[in-house]
Amino acid sequence: MRVILATSIMPFVEGGSTQIVGWLHRQLQAYGHEVEYFQFPISESYSEMLEQLLAMRLLDLSQHGERLIAVRTPSHLLKHPSKVVWFIHHYRSAYDLWGTKYQTLPGTAEGLAYRTAIVNSDNVALRESIRLFSNSAVVRDRLRAFNGVSAEVLYPPLLDPGRFSCGSYGDYLLYFARLTHHKRQWLAIEALRHTRTPVKLVIAGSPDPGVEPYVFDLERLVEKYDLKDRVSILPRWIPEDEKLGLFAECLAVAYFPFDEDSYGYPSLEAHAARKPVLTTSDAGGTNELVIDGENGRVTPADPELIAHAMDGLYDDRKLARRMGEAGEARVQKLGINWDNVMSRLLA
Amino acid sequence: MKIAWFTPLSQRSAIARFSIAVTAQLSKLADVELWCFDDDETRPCSLPVKRFRSAAAVKDHVLQTYDLAIYNFGNYVPFHRDIYLVSKQRPGICILHDFIMHHFFAGYYLNELRNPAAYELLIERTYGLSLSAGERIWESNQVVQYPLFEEAIGGALGVITHSSFFRRHVEECFAGPVTSIPLAYEVQPADPENSRAKLGLGPDQTVALTVGHVNPNKQIERVISAFAQLDLPPNSFVYAVAGQTSPQYERTLRSAARQAGLGEVVRFLGHVSDEVLSSYLSAADFCVNLRFPTMEGASASVIEEMLLGKPVVVTDTGFFSELPDDCVIKIAPADDAGLAGALRKLVEDSSSRRQMGARAKAYAGNQFTAEAYAKGVIEFAWQVQAMKPLLTLADAVGAELSRMGAAAESKVVDQCAREINATFVANSSTNNPGDP
Amino acid sequence: MRIAVLNNAVPFVRGGAEHLADALTAKLREYGHSAILVRIPFCWEPPTKILEHMLACRLLRLPEVERAVAFKFPAYFVPHANKLVWLLHQFRQAYDFWGTSFQGLPDTQEGRDVRECIIRADNVYLAEAKTIFTNSEVTARRLKTFNGLDSELLYPPLLEKGHFSCVDYGDYVFAPGRINDVKRQRLLVESMAFCRSPVRLVLAGRTETKVDADRIQAIIHAQGLEERIEFVDRFITEEEKAAWFSRALACAYIPYDEDSYGYVTLESYLSRKPVITCDDSGGIHELVKDGGTGRIVPAEPRAIAAAMDELYHDKPLARRMGEAGHSLAQSLNINWDRVIEALTR
Repeated sequence: MRVILATSIMPFVEGGSTQIVGWLHRQLQAYGHEVEYFQFPISESYSEMLEQLLAMRLLDLSQHGERLIAVRTPSHLLKHPSKVVWFIHHYRSAYDLWGTKYQTLPGTAEGLAYRTAIVNSDNVALRESIRLFSNSAVVRDRLRAFNGVSAEVLYPPLLDPGRFSCGSYGDYLLYFARLTHHKRQWLAIEALRHTRTPVKLVIAGSPDPGVEPYVFDLERLVEKYDLKDRVSILPRWIPEDEKLGLFAECLAVAYFPFDEDSYGYPSLEAHAARKPVLTTSDAGGTNELVIDGENGRVTPADPELIAHAMDGLYDDRKLARRMGEAGEARVQKLGINWDNVMSRLLA
Repeated sequence: MKIAWFTPLSQRSAIARFSIAVTAQLSKLADVELWCFDDDETRPCSLPVKRFRSAAAVKDHVLQTYDLAIYNFGNYVPFHRDIYLVSKQRPGICILHDFIMHHFFAGYYLNELRNPAAYELLIERTYGLSLSAGERIWESNQVVQYPLFEEAIGGALGVITHSSFFRRHVEECFAGPVTSIPLAYEVQPADPENSRAKLGLGPDQTVALTVGHVNPNKQIERVISAFAQLDLPPNSFVYAVAGQTSPQYERTLRSAARQAGLGEVVRFLGHVSDEVLSSYLSAADFCVNLRFPTMEGASASVIEEMLLGKPVVVTDTGFFSELPDDCVIKIAPADDAGLAGALRKLVEDSSSRRQMGARAKAYAGNQFTAEAYAKGVIEFAWQVQAMKPLLTLADAVGAELSRMGAAAESKVVDQCAREINATFVANSSTNNPGDP
Repeated sequence: MRIAVLNNAVPFVRGGAEHLADALTAKLREYGHSAILVRIPFCWEPPTKILEHMLACRLLRLPEVERAVAFKFPAYFVPHANKLVWLLHQFRQAYDFWGTSFQGLPDTQEGRDVRECIIRADNVYLAEAKTIFTNSEVTARRLKTFNGLDSELLYPPLLEKGHFSCVDYGDYVFAPGRINDVKRQRLLVESMAFCRSPVRLVLAGRTETKVDADRIQAIIHAQGLEERIEFVDRFITEEEKAAWFSRALACAYIPYDEDSYGYVTLESYLSRKPVITCDDSGGIHELVKDGGTGRIVPAEPRAIAAAMDELYHDKPLARRMGEAGHSLAQSLNINWDRVIEALTR
């Protein structure tokens, strides 16, 4: 099939949400389709938003390709007779951040008018799609609540889970994520302090630009609780081999960011290495993947309770293995694989 | 809401007086700062005032700290030139005090910029009229056909007028929000007994008064003729005409009065001080306020006269038509018999005269208040803010298409308008947020 | 520097400009810059779509981008304070194609109005650019004539330096490249019938449509040229191309009124082979000097055949012209250093 793959980008900013498009591109080609890729720069500033949205309505791709797949907002505003949208997140200032201190639209009649116009444009554009998908149940629910549309959950898989392998269930928990406050590596350290077993913690990932002080905060915490011999912090880009090694030998993966929309690639990577995931009930999308006792542990976000779960895994390696292996089954059950993605997007 | 209110503050500006009264009320509903360019002797003001010498000195980043800028436009170039220029730099709400802005633009282009070509281009562009060299439209009633307020409000976010009549004219050429709010006005009445004595007017004399710059538009000759028809005893009434006149026109009017046998009855006062004017207003039994063709957005002088409890004879046109029939006497523009009849009734029937005056005062007292004006401004400001995103978008698109040379009637303009409407404006086929 | 490269795109169609855009983006990164390629859909039928796309480009924004480099109409309308245009194409239908069979726009009031808008927009928005570069003197001349704008010449380098070499001067003339009407390979094939020498022709490249392929086959068969012409109707690799060049007698490249100097010309010179071209081939003349580095002949079969025969009979001449071509190419400094320097200065 000739597929047009469209997305919007923040120029020169890379992140988890841009990987999905790149991987989808490669997989579409791997499955034998001809892909034409478009990436549209988008400025998040509300005062320029309506012009940019209008541009998306005017650029005409409707005569080409048998399918248009639109990913990041506002690329779904493009018109096409066979448009499929894989919705990742809204322009949040007009949606779930409206009415909170994070709202960037002004709290005036003008701001409200921007919000209304943006929401309307989404309402119109989403209804034009022949099929609408979201990357998580959280986003699906928002689409229903805010835009009155039904989306099917379609979970984004890893590009190549086969690269991961399982070595042993070692003595450390791996927290593999970008180093930034809302990823909550600090909570893992707080929890470790309460453990009674000698379980260790490896924190690995690049610091987000502009929040380098967070790394110092983590180090200070380690100092404060005298955990220097149990916590390693690797605040950098981790090359592939090293990453695979860390996953292969860990006891389990700890991942409990605050209230994220999606389960996060670290959770999938854990299961690809047949390791269980330790998460919290307020982590958001991770809760769609991890069932407590089945493929990991889900505890309240309380350091002592998390510590208890950590000890539990350290004490019972067999349990850890069983849950890790159940991870693979859970991933398949949720359809988190490219066959499923392809068949849904191109149906 | 934070508002920058642009206005003259000179003692010589009636708009200044208006602004001070309105912003005093407005500041109870929003954060208001006054911006002023003139450095005349200023009226006293309780709100903070930012003073500038020129439009160029006003920095955009400072204006951006306000939610809205409100610009008061009048005809007098020295007071309003910089306000006009800033309004082009930073679109806001324009208050059109004067319907005819032609004198403003003629003065600006011909006297200030000394650029007659630009003035001619403006007329051509706005009205498709090619001027002959040195033609002075603003000196005749013709000017009513070329008001040029359109030029003042181009690019504005919204327009405030002071009458439905003017609002309708603006709506014909302005696509954004327009409203009309009754003009706010305050008076300081003088003591009537003292006034008559001071002015050498007898307690039994009937006093008729016309206030305002004396020009043919005010139809003084018609009034004099009408009075002549009444054949009243010579000392029983006085007709005072208070307002600046050109020497030539004054000679014409005096001659007309003499010929009508009213040489002693009509007092041509010329320009009078505020104090004297106030005395005459207080002493008057009724006022005659004809205007044809109408040049004002609203008439401050009529409002003042009504607030002082005077019955007023007006022309049934423009703003005047919108006043209640039982508060003023409306005369059709060419109805001389009607005018004479109205004047006779006012002179002869003092009781009905006083009753009408009382009704006029009650109506005006309710209608033309600073408090009501301020509320009207806030409501309109919210409406303008709500329209701003789409209006700004339409302007941006329009500007680009115009730079490309796309004609206003071309398909692409139409298609853009439809796309904007279909995409951004809710209609029944799309759900609103929160609806299941 | 953070740079955005802007180009149009028609989905699933790739030509020289697309390859250049990819190459430029990659080269910018190689030279240490951060670069992204932004491709903007373009649609030109019906005519009102052209205006809509021009407008859409004006409404796009480039946050975090320090410099924008745009190639074509209407991508070069995207606003940016630090914009360069490396002009490959204006919308020729409104300019030199107007009044010819390539006009494209209908000659109706609407078509004429759209044409006016295109010209006016070019005048206004091209002038916004900090600098305008053009890929050939032809493009530069058109820009000056139609829009009154000056530009600086910046030849696009070969996308892949490749392994061009000279092995010997064989018995065939090599004609690589996309095969279609405008490139006029059919004329080359027809010319072979008039050759008196045993010179052969190797025609290598993908035909754009079946009709193009059929027509060429028809001539070959009608004239009995099967032995003299090797018709390789497929996409050829860079290695294959370099190999054919290395043993060729000369190269023939005779498109109609080409915008630019033609990569083929440069590849031929890097292989030290002379170029045969026609007097109406346009930008090719910027690089081919008649009698110096190749032959410029009238676009008719006998003249072309004569040029091929001449070289067949005088290989030393072919060599001399090939060497001269090589020196000329070197002297023009058509390389990425120069391009990156110009675009990031």
